[in-house]
Amino acid sequence: MDEAETSNIFYVPASNLPNITPPDSYNPFRSQPVPLIIDNGSSNLRFGFSTSTSPHSSPNVIAKYKERKFNQSLLLFGDAIDAESGAKSQGKTPWESDVLLNFDAMENALDYAFVRLGIDAEGIEHPVLMTERLCSPLHSRALTSELMFEQYSVPSLTYCVDSVMSFYQNNKPTSGSTFSADGLVVSFNTASTSVIPILNGKGVLSHAKRIPWGTQQSTEYLLKLIQLKYSSFPTRVTSAQASWMLHNFCSFATDYPAVLRSLKMPASMRAAERIIQFPFAIPVVEEKTEEEITRIAEKRKEQGKKLQELAAKSRMEKLAKKENDLQYLTNLKEGKSENKREWMHTLQVEGFDDEAALDETIKKLEADVKRARKKDPDGQDDVIFPVPQLDEEGIKEKKKQKLMKAGFDARARARREKEKEREEKEAEERREEEERESNFDDWAARLRREQEAIMNKIKERGRRKAALSDRKSAAAQARMKNIASLAADERVSKKKRKAGAEDMFGADDEDWQIYRKLNAAAVSSDEEEEFNQLRIIESKLLMHDPTFTAQHTHASITSQRSALISAFRPQYEEGDIEGSARIHLNTERWRVCETFFSPGMAGVDSAGLGEVLQSILARFSEAEKARLVKNVFITGGPSQFPGLQERLHGTLRPILPPEMYLGDIVRAANPSLDAWRGMASFANTDEFHQVGVTAEEYQEWGGERIKRWWGGNCNSVV
Amino acid sequence: MPPKGTTKKKAANDGSTTHTPTLAEQLSYLHSPRPFKNPNYTKNANRRTKNLKTVLGQEREKERVERERRRQERDNQAMDIFEVKKELAEVDEEISTYLSIEAPPSVLPQRHYCDITGLEAPYTDPRTGLRYHDKSVYELIKNLSPSAAKDYLAARGVNPVVR
Repeated sequence: MDEAETSNIFYVPASNLPNITPPDSYNPFRSQPVPLIIDNGSSNLRFGFSTSTSPHSSPNVIAKYKERKFNQSLLLFGDAIDAESGAKSQGKTPWESDVLLNFDAMENALDYAFVRLGIDAEGIEHPVLMTERLCSPLHSRALTSELMFEQYSVPSLTYCVDSVMSFYQNNKPTSGSTFSADGLVVSFNTASTSVIPILNGKGVLSHAKRIPWGTQQSTEYLLKLIQLKYSSFPTRVTSAQASWMLHNFCSFATDYPAVLRSLKMPASMRAAERIIQFPFAIPVVEEKTEEEITRIAEKRKEQGKKLQELAAKSRMEKLAKKENDLQYLTNLKEGKSENKREWMHTLQVEGFDDEAALDETIKKLEADVKRARKKDPDGQDDVIFPVPQLDEEGIKEKKKQKLMKAGFDARARARREKEKEREEKEAEERREEEERESNFDDWAARLRREQEAIMNKIKERGRRKAALSDRKSAAAQARMKNIASLAADERVSKKKRKAGAEDMFGADDEDWQIYRKLNAAAVSSDEEEEFNQLRIIESKLLMHDPTFTAQHTHASITSQRSALISAFRPQYEEGDIEGSARIHLNTERWRVCETFFSPGMAGVDSAGLGEVLQSILARFSEAEKARLVKNVFITGGPSQFPGLQERLHGTLRPILPPEMYLGDIVRAANPSLDAWRGMASFANTDEFHQVGVTAEEYQEWGGERIKRWWGGNCNSVV
Repeated sequence: MPPKGTTKKKAANDGSTTHTPTLAEQLSYLHSPRPFKNPNYTKNANRRTKNLKTVLGQEREKERVERERRRQERDNQAMDIFEVKKELAEVDEEISTYLSIEAPPSVLPQRHYCDITGLEAPYTDPRTGLRYHDKSVYELIKNLSPSAAKDYLAARGVNPVVR
């Protein structure tokens, strides 16, 4: 179990820019037949001369990218791709899940390797030792050989299997004797995991097995799990970050079901989790200070006032103009001369058809003027004239006043009713208070019962709604029956129809209730009323009853998430930006590594590591089995995850006879570099020169054939 | 022989106005000389990047041809029917290719794990097919959209075609 850590929060590492290092100097190696070692891995390319202690290592990715700013084409390799953000999407690897397919990229990678080593001679004049996959397809091998022999003119080329070389490095024979160790090599590669038995220093490759599940697939699986769990995560999680998480937080469980059973408790799940904090940005809220707020308010008021003034002015102007017009027309009317024709002519000049039109216009103008005068806040005429003295206008005014009085009366009535209601409510509240004070428990119990009843009703409603959506439920079938009976022809029996009677649906008011049952989607007003009542009851209880807390309210009960789910995926508040950019890893830490032992969990139909080990060991005799399990060796990136050795031990022990000795699972001293080191030390022995394919042999046999030796493949061998 | 650094810088600078080369340009080796390459070598047409499937298909063909060939050889050399049978068995064992190395499908009974939480899952939801751990997880599943449910199933490798 994990110790409690003070801070469980880990920050995603920021990417570093690569450094520029000058290429090596070639001088020590010029014109010397020092072997050149290339560990061609799916994730990293490691290369160097066999006399160096450690190789150059960098990710095996090429990017050919045309930079926009200065219009330069760039060719970047490995770490250098981080220097240019746009190049990452253009990255190509020579490997495609364990098989060497992209030879353009391979050529560029090899170019980089040789440029880095500073080779400036014509052609590579060193014998080369390269790795290939276990039983690599002949196509890949042929093209690689072609590349090496014809493009780079190497004198001789040897292929080996990287895991066997790593084994060799860790079980090196004393100088002089041949390599004759026994053991079982479990190698975790990028896109596969292979198990190779080695007897007498020779790999029994016919009995080796390869599982198509490696680091790459584990990383993708972890990424998928995170995306499913955090479907609304603010930032995108990249595979590089997923890979970092895999390497730092995931471990193998010795007994996976037991681990799961312990994680079932929310408390232990919370203890076992790791929190990854992603970078987040707090939005800057511009808080206006008090002064600014008042200033803005004042500005607005001023603008409003200005507008009002403008409006008043324009109104005055219009009024003045109308008055002028009125005056002019009245004068005109008064100054009407006796001569009809002249009068008509004058009217027409003014634009009126006849005298009636002139009168109308005068009247309209008078009314407008009067209205405008009335709108001005000086003086409102509220004079009530007795009826006989009124003229047309007076009547209109009287009507208006009657309406106003009626409105006033109605409002007074409404006010009185409201007061009555309020008094009733107060009386009721007083009654309740008395009840409460006299017999608190009963009152509380009564209210609680009411609350439960309403909650039950709401639940029933919800259940009914859910049942209606399911086509086969009883409620839905009842509904269909209702519809069918409404639409049936036999609503009125045949006899009655003959007598002239008709369908009497609707005569009775209760008939219409059937539409409530039929219409499943409508939210009836009943629901709202229920919610209101519930709220009132709950507020009363909250106020007076000390044992009724906010947790008992309907709202909190419905939205309560189980403790397990909140431990599995904690929910942060809306505004908590830092919290919402966090990822909690709890069960994923073991789940991802468990896939090595049962790829079926992730949908890959293949036997897991335990099963494969069992089937391989079953093909050997007892004596050989004993020799193999004495020395179980693991290598590769995931071999560094904690818990692997115990797990393998636990897997192997039950399938072996009890008296057979199962040695400790040995891990490579340096899982990433040991293969290269093994190759380097092998290249310095004499045996190396006998197992390589020389240029002449290549010309004769083609690129597919190789010589059989203990460290190489055995397909298409001579 | 001038040190490699300057040739790289010069190569980056020509063709553009003088500007300090960016980090990426300094790391780029597009323009660095490669004397070790054979200029006469022409790319084999075969080298076009092939699909993984076609490569594996080719492997299978080659394996079959090889097996036939070896069988022929043994036939010609065989003295005795028993020997032939024994050697046939040997021959079949010896040939190991990329495909024969692959692990067989699992024969152990599958354990059911919860699709959402990863814990043990005794129950399966009939509507979506997801496996779940207990009733609170089931509440969560009920509120999932169909596409989210399909994503969970795809993570397990079950791809429902018609749903």
